[in-house]
Amino acid sequence: MGRVIVSGLANGGIYGLIALGLVLVYRGSRVLNFGLGEIGTFTLFVAWAFNEQQSWPWWAGASMALVAAVAIGLIFEGLVVRRMAGATRLAVAVSTVGLFLLLFSIELKVWGLSPRVLRAPIQGLGPEVFGFNISYTYMLAFAAVLGLGIALTVFLTRTDFGLGVLAASQDPVAVRLVGVRVATVSAFTWGASAFVSGLGAILIEPAIGAFSPGFMSLLFVRGLAAALLGGLSSLSGAFIGGVGIGLIESIIGRVFIGNQFPGIQSIAVFFVIILVLLFRPQGILGKSPA
Amino acid sequence: MSLKGFAPSPRQIKILIVAASFIILPPLLARAIPGIFTDYRALMLGVATCYVAAALSLNLLMGYAGQISLGHGALLGTGAFASGLVTTRGPELPLYAGLLAAVLFGAILAFLVGLPALRLRGLYLAIATIGFAFMMQESVFRWQPITRGSAGLELPRRLSRNWVLTENADYLALALVVALFVWLLDVNVVRTKLGRAFHAIREDEAVAQSFGIDITRYKLTAFVLSGSLAGLSGALYGHLIGFVNSDTFSYDAWSLFLVVLVVVGGLGNRKGVAVAAVFFALTPRLLQSIEGWDLIIGAFLLVYTMANHPGGFAEVFHEVRMKRQAKRDPAPEDLTTRLPKLPAPKGAAPPPTEGGGPILEVSDVRVSFGGLVAVDGVSLEVPAGKIIGLIGPNGAGKTTLFNAISGLVKPDAGDIKFQGESVTALSPHARAALGMGRTFQLIGLAKNLSVQENFLMAQHASAIYGDGSALLFTSKAARIEAELIDRAREAIESLGFERYAETPVKNLSHGQQRLVEIACALITSPSLLMLDEPSAGFAPAAVESLAERLKEIRDELGRTVLLIEHNIPMVLSVCDYIYVLNFGSLLAEGTPDEVASHPEVITAYLGQAAQPVPA
Repeated sequence: MGRVIVSGLANGGIYGLIALGLVLVYRGSRVLNFGLGEIGTFTLFVAWAFNEQQSWPWWAGASMALVAAVAIGLIFEGLVVRRMAGATRLAVAVSTVGLFLLLFSIELKVWGLSPRVLRAPIQGLGPEVFGFNISYTYMLAFAAVLGLGIALTVFLTRTDFGLGVLAASQDPVAVRLVGVRVATVSAFTWGASAFVSGLGAILIEPAIGAFSPGFMSLLFVRGLAAALLGGLSSLSGAFIGGVGIGLIESIIGRVFIGNQFPGIQSIAVFFVIILVLLFRPQGILGKSPA
Repeated sequence: MSLKGFAPSPRQIKILIVAASFIILPPLLARAIPGIFTDYRALMLGVATCYVAAALSLNLLMGYAGQISLGHGALLGTGAFASGLVTTRGPELPLYAGLLAAVLFGAILAFLVGLPALRLRGLYLAIATIGFAFMMQESVFRWQPITRGSAGLELPRRLSRNWVLTENADYLALALVVALFVWLLDVNVVRTKLGRAFHAIREDEAVAQSFGIDITRYKLTAFVLSGSLAGLSGALYGHLIGFVNSDTFSYDAWSLFLVVLVVVGGLGNRKGVAVAAVFFALTPRLLQSIEGWDLIIGAFLLVYTMANHPGGFAEVFHEVRMKRQAKRDPAPEDLTTRLPKLPAPKGAAPPPTEGGGPILEVSDVRVSFGGLVAVDGVSLEVPAGKIIGLIGPNGAGKTTLFNAISGLVKPDAGDIKFQGESVTALSPHARAALGMGRTFQLIGLAKNLSVQENFLMAQHASAIYGDGSALLFTSKAARIEAELIDRAREAIESLGFERYAETPVKNLSHGQQRLVEIACALITSPSLLMLDEPSAGFAPAAVESLAERLKEIRDELGRTVLLIEHNIPMVLSVCDYIYVLNFGSLLAEGTPDEVASHPEVITAYLGQAAQPVPA
């Protein structure tokens, strides 16, 4: 059981990271970014190109890849999202489906379908807990999630700019009045969420093994479920939702071990999504609507 | 059935010719000019044909009914696997049995997806359908005993024991005919009440209900229709490429790609969607050097289209057409002084209520929103053939009471009787069908649709034919539709709006929109007409004219009117009896004279005791 919890927590941390990225953009522009996962996959390809093809050190390649991720987020925000200020939010969401396909098809064209492997930042099996080796990458991932979560929360609640980000979707006029530019807030949320997705991808890839175009789709759906569980607009909810989905998944996997029916976890995630949507659309932490 | 008297219309002849050439041409060309019409090219044309059918199936759900689905690939996959199982396992049935199984399973699965979708909208529906797509892809499609997982199933093209369509060109003929069938079905959906109900749901669910449209039923119908066509397209594609496995209909390759086709082609635009499907199927193959760029171009087009024209290609075409029309027709003039006569509803005066009782009886109705009591135990009676006013300051609960009467809001307590029968348990569309017509404060019309389409939608309850009749456009459906169109034209003529018949309602002036709205409510000849602030936004002279029209509705058309109105002089001049609402409860009632001199009414309106308002 301990093993189940540890692996659930570790995966859940990554889901929480993706959920964090979704929630950031949702708070900034009331849009779900369906392309977020693929920004992560793209980051992996860039890191792979630098690390494996150019033989750069891990951290240098990873940094370049994260710069690329942030650039994608900023460019999409500047060229598409900002132009669609007057459009329905659903239309903007559909345009992010386009972002997904754009990144996906570029990956296909440039790198092709064959699976690739990215080195782990720290080699080795890692210490054993409950008969389960927690790799250093997992530990790094969990630390990064916690660190990023705390840093973001402090930044968002203690600085004027951060408060502007939190208020942007509710009251754009008030945000402008305290001297924060709404456009800057929007750019920040898209850049930051792309960064978070890229980081999540780089950290989880070694645990999964190989990647190819569309690699993050499955994780994205988990992240989406996590964000939903947390109420779509709560930062701490995203993290707790991620851990929740991770735990549900690993417990279900344990209960149905040896079962012939594949992908039980995906069924569980779907039912979590449906149940939350139908019975608690405000999320587990959200307040019930007046 | 004898062929005597069989006189096909020009359209039917055209369809027969198209179908015949679809059947004859591909096999003929493949044998006559095998160097040009190669097997590979026939396969590519087959892919394009399947794309068209699949894209049309998503367009029906997303474009017409406005229900976003990011998991349509899973429905296609279900169809392909269903057909594969029927044609390869057990009795090894022929191809058409496989296609039928695909339709059936697609429909069943789409129905199951549609059930939660009844309560989900927009973004939330999108999330749910993504979850569904992944569940199917990761789990059901990988279930070894059924699908053989990544090993997959072979899908034969066997029409009978000895007849197998081995040549791609021969199968292309069959695929083209199936796609033509899907296309014609789509045409019939759009020109009948089915398509109008879908459109109305997409535009505004409350308005759809006020037109008597059962939104639950039609949403599910849209899911089932779309799902069965998706299943059919999936099977068609599966038998074309001859093999399906757990990865064939993935989220990336199909679900999202279909959204690109439908959005880039233009949501709800059949031709645009078909063109987009053919374009994305053929361009990369025609130009070998473009290989791999097709998806990039498609994705770029999707992003570009959304960024510049959130309505898709259809919006671009539409804007061009509108600009041309605007040049031809001068801008609609504002109705400032005189309003035209309202069209007379079909049918005589409504049947008198038994024993001459009131047509509407509201007793002790209470409505609260999360602890906030909006309507607190209100009772009122509306006698037949009268105009009854409902007035009160802003926030008094007038519109909430209206919504409770028409069924959009569920009262916590109390009873509503219409023509002597309790309707409290009925849904809004059922009440509309019984003869309760209503208008909305902010114009209850489908504003993106034309005036004529709105008049047709408003007659939903009069379109008495089944879904099957609609899909096949039987003579019965055709006859009823022709009647509805006649009545719509009559109504438009009596408003003098012939030149605006094809104009989207949103391009009319506010006063014109209000007239169309009232006329739409009248066209089904309701016994009770509930008007929510009809005079809002009218010039004073037009208000006077509106008062005249209301009196005509009562005196000449024999209808009963319940009227919410802020224009006190008008209320006092047209109403037979007035109820005054304040803070959710009845403050006063009486004839116009009584109400006008009621001290509490004056206080409520002016905030203090003042001189009586002259009637």
